[in-house]
Amino acid sequence: MRKKKVTVLNEAGLHARPSSTLVKTASGFKSDLQIEMYGYRVNGKSILGLMTLAAEQGSEMVLIVDGPDEDEAIEALTTLFENKFKRE
Amino acid sequence: MSNRTDQELKSRTLLGTPGAGGRAVGRPVVINTERKVVKPEKIDAERVDDEVELVENALDELVDEFEGLKSINSEEDIVDVMETQIQLLRDPELKKSIDGKIRSQKFKAVFAIFSSFNEYIQLLENSRVNWLRDRTIDIVSIRDQLIDTVRNKEPDYVKAENGVIFAEELSPTEMIKLSRFNLAGVVTQKGGLTSHVVILAQSLGIPCVIGVNWKQMRPEEFETVMIDGDVGSVLFDPTDELIDDVETYKEEKLKKQEVALQWASEPDVTECGCSFTIRGNVEFISELPRIKTHGARGVGLLRTETILFEKGGFDIQTQIDFYRQVAEATAEDPLTIRLFDAGGDKLPENHEEEHNPFLGWRGIRMLLDKPDLLRKQYEAILRVSAEYKGKIQILVPMISHMQQIEQAQLILEDVKKELRQSGVEFDPDIPFGIMIEVPGIAMMAAEAAEEVDFFSIGTNDLTQYMLAVDRGNSKISNLYQPSHPSIWRIMELVANAAHKAGIPVSVCGEMASNPLYAACFLGLGINDLSMTTNSIPAVKEMLCSHTLAEFKEKSNQVLRARTFTDVNLIFNEWKKTLELHHI
Repeated sequence: MRKKKVTVLNEAGLHARPSSTLVKTASGFKSDLQIEMYGYRVNGKSILGLMTLAAEQGSEMVLIVDGPDEDEAIEALTTLFENKFKRE
Repeated sequence: MSNRTDQELKSRTLLGTPGAGGRAVGRPVVINTERKVVKPEKIDAERVDDEVELVENALDELVDEFEGLKSINSEEDIVDVMETQIQLLRDPELKKSIDGKIRSQKFKAVFAIFSSFNEYIQLLENSRVNWLRDRTIDIVSIRDQLIDTVRNKEPDYVKAENGVIFAEELSPTEMIKLSRFNLAGVVTQKGGLTSHVVILAQSLGIPCVIGVNWKQMRPEEFETVMIDGDVGSVLFDPTDELIDDVETYKEEKLKKQEVALQWASEPDVTECGCSFTIRGNVEFISELPRIKTHGARGVGLLRTETILFEKGGFDIQTQIDFYRQVAEATAEDPLTIRLFDAGGDKLPENHEEEHNPFLGWRGIRMLLDKPDLLRKQYEAILRVSAEYKGKIQILVPMISHMQQIEQAQLILEDVKKELRQSGVEFDPDIPFGIMIEVPGIAMMAAEAAEEVDFFSIGTNDLTQYMLAVDRGNSKISNLYQPSHPSIWRIMELVANAAHKAGIPVSVCGEMASNPLYAACFLGLGINDLSMTTNSIPAVKEMLCSHTLAEFKEKSNQVLRARTFTDVNLIFNEWKKTLELHHI
């Protein structure tokens, strides 16, 4: 299991498009992704779950990745947060 | 029958516009009513797996539908919205919650969906974040679509089987879904004579009446309803005598059809020995068997929009499978594939709205803006053409400007080049034709004929554009008159241009399925007709049992007429002198 603390950097927060990008990226990996914020935990592959976090700019959250490709997954997800969810 | 019962019958009768002919009796089935609140109904333990499966099928179906909508839009925003909708439908937590409510709490699928979505909707509605509250509108809409989809699949819904459907309006998707049941009839409040519902009802032989204000009758409170698609009436609780009448009518119609069907196998020549060709208009796989039984020489118009509606059918393989299936069914006879003619009344729901869709972004106009879509369709057709060299043709809809012909051809040549480079086989001489349905290109027929391999006249659209009548607008639909002399005159102009340039010309609109009109087309020199397969035997009977001289005489009269009533009079007089089985 890998854990990593990330911050939502983009101005509008984790709104529709970033959530969608996050789900898409997470779903590409076999590993499970849980996201913890203020003691509240959601499935990172669930778009509805991410929406209920209502994460605004500056929110801090912990990514918890568990599975066979957890190293690649945590790498990719962290990059996503760092790049403010911009598509390459 | 006493006057009193007469009066009573009248009070239970509703009138509308005849959409598709035939009479039938069935149970009234109301669909598409206002959004309901779902009640927490429970199920027996043995239904659990079925209900879970209902949800899974509905999810798959909607995902396919959205994938299809996504692929016809390249605007990033629309694609994003569609992708989010798909992610919502594929949400693992939502699925877990729905399954849990069915398996542990034994709720019905629709309620499990309703309440699972509502838990999220409540959370989001209470959120302080604005954009989240806005999102809930989408989520509610997805919830309701999913519930509708499941309801369509509930065993309850099979009540549509042999029923008469009452709806305010049916979208193509809904009509496509419903057509799988053995419907007795369709009654709608809205919709025009050439709307998808009507065309589909005609091709499936389902009686249909449109423009009926049925709501005040509360159809669901009646046990039986009689629909007469020939005169356009709907009668609730018909008397036993009337029901018997319908039975007799059906038997007689069947007999007439059998007589007419005997003509199907006759050679395609007039009584005087002039040959003609009748082909089928096809949209659904279910119509394919009728190509043979009804005597069609191949398919003169394959509509390809349905694969777009049914399953996100834009990928090349789905298209190839569909075209191949049709090509198989037409054996050695030709198959004309019309490029996607999405637009106007055929647009899937949720599409961007246009103020004037019939004058808007449709047919080749849309395809030239979406070259990816066009290239994919070209590629699919070309790949299939390798297996059926010399029998597949490409037909381009909605051409209004000469440049569009050139542009569409350039892209075709480019796709050919690409395929050649990757060593893919295809028919290099695949004929390339255009629909003549816009007056602006019809008037340029002589020039257009130099550029293309064939013409196909689409009479529905040509009539509506010639007369500037929106065929779906009931206030003016009485002005939609295919017998207007101008329609015949412009068709003659197009036919002459085609003959002069030595290219084939055919008619593929609704008009061709009227035996008398069809006969007059032969008189105009158009002897290649394509029509809904059900109409072929009757048209063939007419054409085989009369002479070309007679057809020429009538078409000359029609060309000289001043009004559409004059034209109708010519046909009515003519009809009286004929002894046909089917008219």
